[in-house]
Amino acid sequence: MTAQIELTNVNKYYGAYHALKDIELSIRKGSFTALVGPSGCGKSTLLRSLAGLESISSGTLKIAGEVMNAMPPRKRDVAMVFQSYALYPHMTVEENLTYSLRIKGVAKADRKKAANEVAAVTGLTNLLGRYPRELSGGQRQRVAMSRAIIRHPKAFLFDEPLSNLDAALRVHMRKEIRALHDRLGATSVYVTHDQVEAMTMADHVVIMRDGVIEQQGSPLELYDRPDNKFVAGFIGSPAMNFLPAVGGPDGRSIILDLGMKQTVSLERAVQPGRALVVGLRPENIELAPADEGVVSVQVALVESTGATCFLTMATTPELSVVFNGRSQAQAGDRVGLNFAPASIHLFDADTERRLPD
Amino acid sequence: MKRFLSSMIDGRGFDIGLVGLPLAFLLTLSGLPLLYNIAMSLQEVDMFSLGSFWRPFVGLKNYRDLFAQPETWPILVNTATFVVASIAGQFLVGFGLALFFWTNFPGASWLRGLFLVSWVMPGLVVGAIWNWILSGDFGVLNFILRETGLIDGNIFWRSDPGFSLWAVIIANIWLGTSFNMILLSVGLSSIPRDLYEASELDGANVWQRFWTITLPMMRSSIGAIIALGLIFTLQQFDLFAAITSGGPNNASNVTQYWAWDLSFRQYDFAKGATISVIMIVFVMIASVVYVRSTRHEVRG
Repeated sequence: MTAQIELTNVNKYYGAYHALKDIELSIRKGSFTALVGPSGCGKSTLLRSLAGLESISSGTLKIAGEVMNAMPPRKRDVAMVFQSYALYPHMTVEENLTYSLRIKGVAKADRKKAANEVAAVTGLTNLLGRYPRELSGGQRQRVAMSRAIIRHPKAFLFDEPLSNLDAALRVHMRKEIRALHDRLGATSVYVTHDQVEAMTMADHVVIMRDGVIEQQGSPLELYDRPDNKFVAGFIGSPAMNFLPAVGGPDGRSIILDLGMKQTVSLERAVQPGRALVVGLRPENIELAPADEGVVSVQVALVESTGATCFLTMATTPELSVVFNGRSQAQAGDRVGLNFAPASIHLFDADTERRLPD
Repeated sequence: MKRFLSSMIDGRGFDIGLVGLPLAFLLTLSGLPLLYNIAMSLQEVDMFSLGSFWRPFVGLKNYRDLFAQPETWPILVNTATFVVASIAGQFLVGFGLALFFWTNFPGASWLRGLFLVSWVMPGLVVGAIWNWILSGDFGVLNFILRETGLIDGNIFWRSDPGFSLWAVIIANIWLGTSFNMILLSVGLSSIPRDLYEASELDGANVWQRFWTITLPMMRSSIGAIIALGLIFTLQQFDLFAAITSGGPNNASNVTQYWAWDLSFRQYDFAKGATISVIMIVFVMIASVVYVRSTRHEVRG
């Protein structure tokens, strides 16, 4: 398990603005790492620092074991796929693909051969003579990726490459990018603001906020054991419910505040009277008859897509529930809610950090 | 349906009006004089027949006479020299300045704006300023060249037949550079930043980025500025009037100044018109290049 990219104690300032704060990140060779977070969290800055398009203010950045802090982008041997694709508009697809080879001084015949090989993999064979303006969004996306692939770089950097595509194509390209990654055995770093993209594509997800890495790990680790309330709310769709609560007097229960107080007993110790935030995923809540659930609430809204059903409860704060199938309950009905004590995430109300289990 | 139809018809009438007005304007104020000029170049015109349109038709006699004159070819060569040297100088210096300001150092945009001062100045004023600079005995240009050791004696820029044309060229380059610079700056700033980032990651150094990204992306801007340069330098009249008056002995005379001189100082209107017709041909070619290069915009 060698680290292909290694960042130690990396900081980045724009004047007084602290864009990246003490970033520690190790990206394994051959892994698919997603950098995810809301806009302005520093994920793009981090990616551009890897590429060398931004310089880091302090810390060490290693690519394939070599310190790259002050190395210009063209000497880093990494390829980037831009959000705008950044295809050269005055060159044909083939010229776009072979641009890096042309710069390197590769002979014309070899360039043509390389372009044909890559085009066969990415399905661009019939488009090699076209100009970027004659291509659709998905085809441009493929050209941008092929341009990266042809170089066999040390790492692929993706900067929100799917955000300009429509929803259906995005889902399709997601699979295609991941399949290409597996096929090439490449090391990929993928920036996105879409947690679904991060969860479905990556083996390692890095969640950032305000220049800080909030948590990193495998997608399911992040889903199952979020370190703090931010990560818990960011991962998962629909988003986790957060309910204020306090520790119950017996030390083994919590008192939920859903407009009215409801006591829920747990299988773990909780400090009596401690202010808490309870995290409950909508998909971990089950509906029950009105008098049988752990808590009893009123339904405010029922939304059904046919396959799944979204219910919003008339509580403060709002509580959402999602399950597969159809709902018997109507807006205004009283229902009971059941959830396994193990599916409850507990966070400290002040620090918003996860309580140790 | 009826309302839809009537609006269509109204719309069409409005379209024709919008196109027709400027077209009528162009025809009366540019088209007719142009045609009149061509007609005049095929007629015998003197002071007394100037007032009537029905003058003796002489075919291509004016053209034959013109090319039989000994000064015609030297003046045409002067014109070509003036155009090529002015455009080359304006373009190279302008492009250099545009690239320099493109690096966006503090105060760059402010300084770039200041450069336009040279372009908004009237040619006669520019000519007067350059008359002082080029002055043979106490001109600052001679002073600089002498002090740096480039020349031994003074150059009489305006009266030496070997230099008089170049005196006007230097002034014209100074006058037109800032316009080139502004137009090329606009072209440069319309190149997306990420193209440079992509090519940098693809391994291109500064020089390679310039040849493979900047220049090809600037093709239409460069075509437009060179075509405009051709039109502007062929129109340049004030500087000749102010600096050399085409002299000495036609050494710095060019067609546009000569046409005026023949028509309005020697009252040989037919010859003046003949030269103008020859110039129109060249300007037409430049216009076609200009229109074509601004139409073929390459943007992704």
